[in-house]
Amino acid sequence: MSVSDLKHSLRKYEFPACAKEALNRIEQLLVGRAAPSNKQLDIAMDIISEFVFCESDRRSGRRGGGLTPLQDLQLIDIICDYLSACTNETTKNTVFLSLFGGMESQRRLKILSILASMAVSASSTPVLLAVGVWLQQMGCSSSQSLQLVENVIRDHFYLNTSNQLALKSLANTAPQFVSNFITAVTELYMHDAQGTNDNKLPPKNLLEVITAWVYSNPTLCMSAQLNPAALPSGSIPMAAVTPLAGLIHWCALAPLYIDDDTEMVEVAVPFKKIKLEGENDRSLIKTVTSKPLTESEFYIKLHLGVLHSLRAGRRTHGPPTAVNAQHLAALAPVVQSYAHNVLKRGGKIQNDPKLQDCLDRIGQSVQVALANGCVYGNISNLLAALDTLPENRLLRIIIKTHQQTM
Amino acid sequence: MMNPQSKSTALSVDLNNFIYGVSKRNAQNAPELTRTGLNLLKNFPAARDAVLEYFAMVFHDAVTVSISQTDYEADLGANGALESVSIIGPELCNLGQSWAPFIAPWCINLIMDIATKKANVPNTTLQNADPVRILLDITTQNLTLLNSEERAKCIDMMLGSWACSWAVGWVGRAEPALVAPRALQLGADAARAVLAHLAHHPPATHHVRVAVLDLFHEALREDSKPEKKRDVIPYLLNLASKSDIVLKALTQDIEQTLTDEVMERLCAVCASQRNTVMWAEVTPASLVALLLRADVRCLLLLLRHALSNLFCRQLLEYLLQKLEFECLFPDRNIPMLTSAAEEINIVRDKLLDGNQLEKYSLARILILVSYNLPSEFVSTISYLLQYSRDDSTLALLVRIISGTITMHVPSDSPDISMDTERYQNFVKTGVEYALRDAMLSDNEIKMCFLDGSVPEDQKTYLHHFCLNIIKLLRWENSNRVPHLRTRPIGRAVEANLYRIGGALQEYTSLLRIRKEGTMAYLDEMPTCHALAEVLDRVDMTGTKAPPPSVEVILKVVQATVKYFFRCLHLKETMEKLRGVATACRLLRKLCVQSKLARAAALRELLETAMLRDDAAFGSRPLQPYHAPSQHDLLMHLNQKHGPITQLTQSHTSVFHAGIIGKGVRKPNGSDYNDIPPILTTNNELLMGALTSCMVSDGNSGLVEGATSVSLLLVELVSPDVMYNGLPWPDEDFTKQVSIERELYMRGALENCAVARAALRRAAAARPALCLASALLRATAATLLHRLRAYLDRHTQSAEMAKERAALTELLSTMTLGQLLPHPLSHMLELAPELTASEIVQVLRDCLWNYTRDHVPSPALFTCDSTGLHWRDPSTCKPPATYTDTLRLIIQKRISKLGHLYPIMFLNLEKENN
Repeated sequence: MSVSDLKHSLRKYEFPACAKEALNRIEQLLVGRAAPSNKQLDIAMDIISEFVFCESDRRSGRRGGGLTPLQDLQLIDIICDYLSACTNETTKNTVFLSLFGGMESQRRLKILSILASMAVSASSTPVLLAVGVWLQQMGCSSSQSLQLVENVIRDHFYLNTSNQLALKSLANTAPQFVSNFITAVTELYMHDAQGTNDNKLPPKNLLEVITAWVYSNPTLCMSAQLNPAALPSGSIPMAAVTPLAGLIHWCALAPLYIDDDTEMVEVAVPFKKIKLEGENDRSLIKTVTSKPLTESEFYIKLHLGVLHSLRAGRRTHGPPTAVNAQHLAALAPVVQSYAHNVLKRGGKIQNDPKLQDCLDRIGQSVQVALANGCVYGNISNLLAALDTLPENRLLRIIIKTHQQTM
Repeated sequence: MMNPQSKSTALSVDLNNFIYGVSKRNAQNAPELTRTGLNLLKNFPAARDAVLEYFAMVFHDAVTVSISQTDYEADLGANGALESVSIIGPELCNLGQSWAPFIAPWCINLIMDIATKKANVPNTTLQNADPVRILLDITTQNLTLLNSEERAKCIDMMLGSWACSWAVGWVGRAEPALVAPRALQLGADAARAVLAHLAHHPPATHHVRVAVLDLFHEALREDSKPEKKRDVIPYLLNLASKSDIVLKALTQDIEQTLTDEVMERLCAVCASQRNTVMWAEVTPASLVALLLRADVRCLLLLLRHALSNLFCRQLLEYLLQKLEFECLFPDRNIPMLTSAAEEINIVRDKLLDGNQLEKYSLARILILVSYNLPSEFVSTISYLLQYSRDDSTLALLVRIISGTITMHVPSDSPDISMDTERYQNFVKTGVEYALRDAMLSDNEIKMCFLDGSVPEDQKTYLHHFCLNIIKLLRWENSNRVPHLRTRPIGRAVEANLYRIGGALQEYTSLLRIRKEGTMAYLDEMPTCHALAEVLDRVDMTGTKAPPPSVEVILKVVQATVKYFFRCLHLKETMEKLRGVATACRLLRKLCVQSKLARAAALRELLETAMLRDDAAFGSRPLQPYHAPSQHDLLMHLNQKHGPITQLTQSHTSVFHAGIIGKGVRKPNGSDYNDIPPILTTNNELLMGALTSCMVSDGNSGLVEGATSVSLLLVELVSPDVMYNGLPWPDEDFTKQVSIERELYMRGALENCAVARAALRRAAAARPALCLASALLRATAATLLHRLRAYLDRHTQSAEMAKERAALTELLSTMTLGQLLPHPLSHMLELAPELTASEIVQVLRDCLWNYTRDHVPSPALFTCDSTGLHWRDPSTCKPPATYTDTLRLIIQKRISKLGHLYPIMFLNLEKENN
């Protein structure tokens, strides 16, 4: 079928239907052979642009300015339908990546963001898995990925805060997505600043969900690496980056950034209820047990989860892939500048509980990571960087031990 | 890993329903879809753009429906959109802070959309449409949840649209501090619209004011670049000319805004910028147009600067002329004048203590205010009458009155009389209020009394009021003030005579309550003099105006009499005489017209003089009762009177041996024996007053008055009805029946100088004395009996002398009254020479018997052509029976009394021949 015929047949349909039809045609074009030719790729892109996203329009009667939000929604629905109905993982990823793989279009990224967010809302596993693959292929720290992740966070942790349970269950249904999602999230928070106060901390409910994910699923962090994506033939798979290094950062730096005083304020005072007879004891127990964890408690729990995950990250064969040594070494300047500030304020490093807490956690993480062979990259550089950190007994022992074994 | 999903709908039923519902959108499914949309919004935040887009459509529909809806019976479809809107409203309001950054811009865009699309619909209709209200609520609610930067951005977004200034105003109520300064950055028209809408919300006005003033002060600040701010003041003025709220913001508390320093700076700025293009619009005409809408404090400020600043002076004159011109249109409502009416106290105060220019300008303003608001006219008159202390202020009052009355009334207008009548009524009410308020003020505690700083010549408020009235009346009566030709003040005072009389009565009253620390505590006589002078200066005769009513006359008469007696008690002779003269003038003026007034005045005068104020005339009260000692029982007292039948007044009897219950009379009571003299100053003054009451054209007034006096004397001396008639009974009758009574009457008469003096006046005004016949008879009867008694005892005591004096007085009075015709009249000359027995004879035969047979009645007196009453001696010659006793006595003592014989008898006989 020639290009013009193809387009001609598609033009018989009005908007929502034409997109649906176009998806099928694209699948036919791209899948099934060894690898689509360049010409086929071009045709597919052309059709996507004209009939799916309605970006270029050569026909009269339809406005060329793209789609309205309502039409966006229709399109998303169609794509979801398609992805959900698609039985072949490779086919699905192929079509998905060709729809959203281009870097250039902000509009498509926006639609993708909505799509991802809605998939999270609806716990739509096929879509989420596809998005997970997309994240990995784009690179979790790329600007597109970060934008998508930011959108999802805003939708589900700011605007709609009532779906924590559904979110927590995502770790079981779409671990690859979750793993890549966490990696991108660690790029967003506690990352940029050099120990200053305007550092961005993750919102509490996000922290809570991530903690729940990591804590209850030690293999989660490795899942993107353990389950390689089903990619179209001929494409280059991107290496999955685990969220572990980022989470170690979070846990280690958390004591430095979290103010205990503000913590106290956040503890919700139990509501004064009108006492009903016979209800006293029960409500009392309830308030005690349902007392939410504070933020620093979440970090402690997360830290434990991370350590568990590190232990699960041991690979029986092949080089370690879990944590990049360089990534861990990047902690050193942040901690140093904090210690510098402490000294400047006239405090003593040995007596600063926050700093010691931080150093302890670094030590624990490094020890567990090294012991389990999870670290790749230049380990001696890492040890040298850790050596420049302020005095800490645990850290000292660890450095000494590992420098000896090198 | 894949979780197999059987359903083709990958996301949710809701989403599908929504998507396909929207694509087949119609009026019926709107509420259903709306609910679905809201669910989506909660569960699928990512779908918000689509949902909100759908909501926007719903709002558009709802607005269309609600503004085209004429009545409330609407079809189901219409209700669908409205119902949906009402579902959406509360939900979007309550989404919370994190949603606000999405909802607020959406709302604002939607408002702008609606406003632009419905630009042909009147703003108010649009604003009052329910959906728009709901939308505005959502906007406001969400704006408050935004941080200030986002909020400012949203408001800027709205301000950018020309169609929805009303919405800015509405929404801006939540954030007036943000909106107001931003609005001022817009063009004058746009700013006006926004601020006008903002002004519907009272708390916002404060922010508008702050913003406007900030802008103003910024423009004046010295250090900044002048060329940048060149346009600010013209802009503000231009804005103020279009927007009431800006004008109000600028002019509120203008004294604090335009302090002297600011004024100085402003002048400098004006001088340097006046020639620029923008300033070309700042013309005197535009400024005056602004001032017309400003409040009166601006005018006061202008006045303050007018003396020193030529431009202010010109502006002032321009403004006043403009105001006067505008007042030509009756239905024109001028805020400046309204404000002047509201703050009229400040204006009036300024009128009193301002400089010349201020006074004259404010008087013009007050004329305009008074012309529009009669109540203010009244209160202004009242105020100035009370507080004016100099001629110039009074002149202003005259100007205000005449200016108000004659304003815009062409002289040939047919209803001029009706109108002046109406205004005359206002003047009258003004005088009335002033009087009332002055009297009230006199009873208020004043500071100067408390700290002891009372000036020497402190006058009561009422006194000041009177002085003002007097001055005005003098101007009026001088006939040299054309404004007062219609006698507005005089007529007003005449209409208030009752109250002024009441005031005089109150102030002359000795029982007046005089609270300490108030003006009432001051000496009241100066005030009384002033009040009397006011009364003296008005016309009460009814020649220029309708005569006063009965109650007014009575009130004034009573007050005048009181005033008269207060004056009699004054120490200062000149003051006393002047006061008495005023009172007499007043009485004359009152009585000349009204018999009622005369009767009332005479009665008041005599009653007071004889009963209450008798001490002033040297009279002594008759001691009718001896004070019974406390232990006396009524039973014992009764026994003292003896067994005989009690006669009238017998308990006071001085007959025979002494006073019953007291024993024999002590002969040495010299004071008791003295008859009080008639010729005293006070007595003469009183007689003068009595005479004043009797004045009329001709003699009739005198006679009538004297007649009343006679009757009054009888009534006052002897209130009994019995035996007060004209006839003289048999002499024996008195002996047996009425002697006690006669004795009492004689005592009462004798002790009362006033009564005796009055009796003499009555005698002079024949035939008035006839009516006092009872008094004469009493004297005559007692003389007869007493002399007979003394005759028995052969005494020549002081008592005898007293009896002789009494006899002389009786005879002279009767002779004067022509009750004793010739030759009986000569008994007066004869009497001193006669012995007691002779006197008794003469009295019985000549006086008593003659009068008994010729009852002294007015009928004996004929009235001649001049109106004089008299008894013609030629026709009333007494028969010989009554003169024989005299003749015999003279013959018997011819050596001593012979010179009288020819006078008495020879001429008579000659005539007989």
